[in-house]
Amino acid sequence: MVETKIGGCLPNRTGLFNYYWQRIRRNKLALAGLAFIVFLIALAVIGPFVTSDPMAVNFDEKEIPPISFTSQQSTYNIQTDQLTTKDIHGTWEHPLGTDSKGSDMLAMLIAGARISLLVGLIATGIAIILGTIIGVVSAYLGGWADNILMRFTDIMMTFPFFLLLVLIVFIFGPSLAFIVLVIGLTGWTGTARMIRSESLSLRTREFVVAAKALGATDNRVVFRHLIPNVASLIIIMATLSIPGVILAEAALSFIGLGDPTVPSWGVILESGRHTLATSWWVAVEPGIMLFLTVLAFNFLGDGLRDAFDPRSNL
Amino acid sequence: MKSEMNHNLLQLADLKKYYPVTAGLFSRHVGDIKAVDGVTLDVRESEIVGLVGESGCGKSTLARTIPRLEEPTSGKIIYNGNDIARLNKKELSQIRREIQLIFQDPDASLDPRMTVGDSIEEPLVIHHIGDSRERADRVAQLMEQVGLEAGQAGMYPHEFSGGQKQRVGIARALAMNPRLIIADEPVSALDVSIQAQILNLMMDIREKFGLAYLFIAHDLSVIRHMANRVAIMYLGKIVELADKNDLFDSPLHPYTEALLSAVPSFKPKDKDRILLRGDVPSPLNPPPGCHFHPRCHRVMPICSKVKPKQKEVAEGHLVSCHLYK
Amino acid sequence: MIVDVKGLKTHFFTHRGTVKAVDGVDFELRQGECLCLVGESGCGKTVTALSVLRLFDSPPGKIVGGQIRYNDLDLARCPIKQLRQIRGKDIAIVFQEAQSALNPVLTIGDQITEQIKVHLPLNNEQSRDRAKTLLSDMGIPTPETVMHYYPHQLSGGMKQRVLIAMSLSCDPKILIADEPTTAVDVTIKAQILDIFRELKTKRQMSTIFITHDLAVVSEIGDRAVVMYGGKDVETAPVSELIGNPKHPYTEGLIDCLPDMSKSGDRLASIPGTTPNPLELPEGCSFHPRCSKAMGICSHVEPSKTKISDGHFVCCHLYT
Repeated sequence: MVETKIGGCLPNRTGLFNYYWQRIRRNKLALAGLAFIVFLIALAVIGPFVTSDPMAVNFDEKEIPPISFTSQQSTYNIQTDQLTTKDIHGTWEHPLGTDSKGSDMLAMLIAGARISLLVGLIATGIAIILGTIIGVVSAYLGGWADNILMRFTDIMMTFPFFLLLVLIVFIFGPSLAFIVLVIGLTGWTGTARMIRSESLSLRTREFVVAAKALGATDNRVVFRHLIPNVASLIIIMATLSIPGVILAEAALSFIGLGDPTVPSWGVILESGRHTLATSWWVAVEPGIMLFLTVLAFNFLGDGLRDAFDPRSNL
Repeated sequence: MKSEMNHNLLQLADLKKYYPVTAGLFSRHVGDIKAVDGVTLDVRESEIVGLVGESGCGKSTLARTIPRLEEPTSGKIIYNGNDIARLNKKELSQIRREIQLIFQDPDASLDPRMTVGDSIEEPLVIHHIGDSRERADRVAQLMEQVGLEAGQAGMYPHEFSGGQKQRVGIARALAMNPRLIIADEPVSALDVSIQAQILNLMMDIREKFGLAYLFIAHDLSVIRHMANRVAIMYLGKIVELADKNDLFDSPLHPYTEALLSAVPSFKPKDKDRILLRGDVPSPLNPPPGCHFHPRCHRVMPICSKVKPKQKEVAEGHLVSCHLYK
Repeated sequence: MIVDVKGLKTHFFTHRGTVKAVDGVDFELRQGECLCLVGESGCGKTVTALSVLRLFDSPPGKIVGGQIRYNDLDLARCPIKQLRQIRGKDIAIVFQEAQSALNPVLTIGDQITEQIKVHLPLNNEQSRDRAKTLLSDMGIPTPETVMHYYPHQLSGGMKQRVLIAMSLSCDPKILIADEPTTAVDVTIKAQILDIFRELKTKRQMSTIFITHDLAVVSEIGDRAVVMYGGKDVETAPVSELIGNPKHPYTEGLIDCLPDMSKSGDRLASIPGTTPNPLELPEGCSFHPRCSKAMGICSHVEPSKTKISDGHFVCCHLYT
């Protein structure tokens, strides 16, 4: 089938933002992802003021199932040598149940949302900024500067950040701040390569030559022309990196390298691992949250990529 | 109008631009792409010199080498008496105000993320001219001069048609009051009816501001309309240079003859069309002797051995061909 | 007459609105002639040509009206199976961008023989022989070597010739050429025009030749259809069209050619720009740019009038 171009006609008088917003709107999945993320942010910001303290421990109320579920708890009385089983029902007081220490699941998940989003945003922020600067400068300068920067990138790519993390945990003890830093400082390499490749192709575009012909300095060309034009790529890469970062933190917590003092979803999941038989919700709920969050960011990222690509017929 | 009265604005003396080709693990220098291979050409004040050639002849490279967007490999670029090739960055920046470029593809030559007003204003910002109010006034003035409405300054390139985008490019080039504009195929990407509008615009501003053009095109009928003198380029060299009428009425170089006879036209041809054999050779390995000899319909034995020198055969009519001694 | 197009309407239904790319076009292609579809960008000439073989993307495009009669079939409506048998074999098409029309990962030989084997009952060796003959017919000097080349190893002119050779591989009776001389240098243009001329004289090929270049039309066309805003505004034998144009757009197009300029410095031009196919003007689509527009032109679409034998115009000046 032959693709027919119907002349690039656009409605008049739209700003750039509106133009892209129209295109994103057409992708239902991306919109759903965006809605979920907005919801999550709202939760993370407002939630902690509304729910109880996630770290509160109350052994009387341990292992209560979520609303509308019923579970059985058995207690063994040493003195009477009797196993009594009783039914526990979920209550509205703890709509998502409690964990083995009696902490409210809802409160913890909301706190966890805050943590995961912060981790995602900060670590991604560090990685993207580093990656963009290195990528653009490398492409623009070319020659030996490009060579050096790219070899450095190669080395960083092969760096076993996992071992670095183990080492840090061993020396300093587990800390969320360190995790964020390590992820950020090692995660920029992919971005650097993509941005460099995009910048290289932009560098030969006529409007860059035109700017130089007008007398623009290298500085101006990079900041006023190259970076804004890779901005869309940056946004897409950031959106698609965030889920990876969130999962990385969750995975680290799951294997015990996380910061146990912070109720991130990974930590909650890890704690629920041991009690799957009796309180499966402690592991499943954060798992579902992670799943939905990653999906949402991926849908949004894909939608953004399609919207920003001038060749896709939207 | 014979333009010898005006003095030389731009003089190119044996200008060369080679791109080295490397091969192997240690990037050995194995050859050169001789994009511009010894061009001697001049442009006088207020004149339009047309430069014609097919793809691969080096005309775009020449367009970029003159304002030193590409560094020349050797030769002189004398603008108003100074050799630009020797200037430092600061002095070059001054010159850049006087020599401007207009590009072929109106889509690609404007930054899609800047409003057209910002694009036109950019040269003024770069050279610190005026304050922001004065610049805004100048942008409005320039837009009107090229036939656009000043109110459209806040719009983005994708909201304009091809012809309008080209007008923006012209406005941008005019912002610094240049004296020489190098136009690299400015109308090739436009529809015929729009092409006529843009050509008229270019003539109007030339009259108004006393500009000189180096007008590069592959369409001979456009060149015939616009230029005062015409240069024909083949594989990095100028093979013929003459006043327009002399060139079109009595072409001397066999390549010029072939080009002219190849143009589809309304009037029936008196002679049979000359069809060139083969394709344009690669600038990496140009044929020995005269670059054109393998395809030449008037080739002689000497042509494959010796490079012809540029000779003035009639007043103002220069050719590089062994047929003329 | 072998192809008869009547009232063809091809519309594209996009979320931005309906693009009436072709909106009521009539023309006929006669045996052995070269019919040129002339117009600027957006006039619908390419979509018209694609419609003959229904090669446009089917959503969003659709032939919403008219007929394309060929050999007792209505190509606009016939089942796709029948259309596939005609494509390449009876009616072939040569596209404009030689770069993108050739598959970069297959050799030239493979691409041509693939085409041959689809339609003709020849085995490998016979197909390759046929391919070699075609290439040398097109003036390609060393067909055997070229068969082993990849597209990127060929120059623009050679690629265009390979494309034409491919389109001829199954001996079609009708060739549709979409701007074959537009993206090439002048000397190659001359070579390609020569090939088309030979096709007419040696093979009695009937061609629909799409171009925006009136000079090319005058060199190679027998009859021409001028298109604007999705409609055919003037149809005539080429010498009549150029010597005696009736529609103001045709006149304007001819006048603004640098070749035809009468006075030194200024070219005649047509003010304004080609219309946005999403928002075609009411009445005659050309009226906003027409120097001879009258009151009626902005309300009523002009109907076709006969000027002389074979010369038709759609313009209120003549109704």
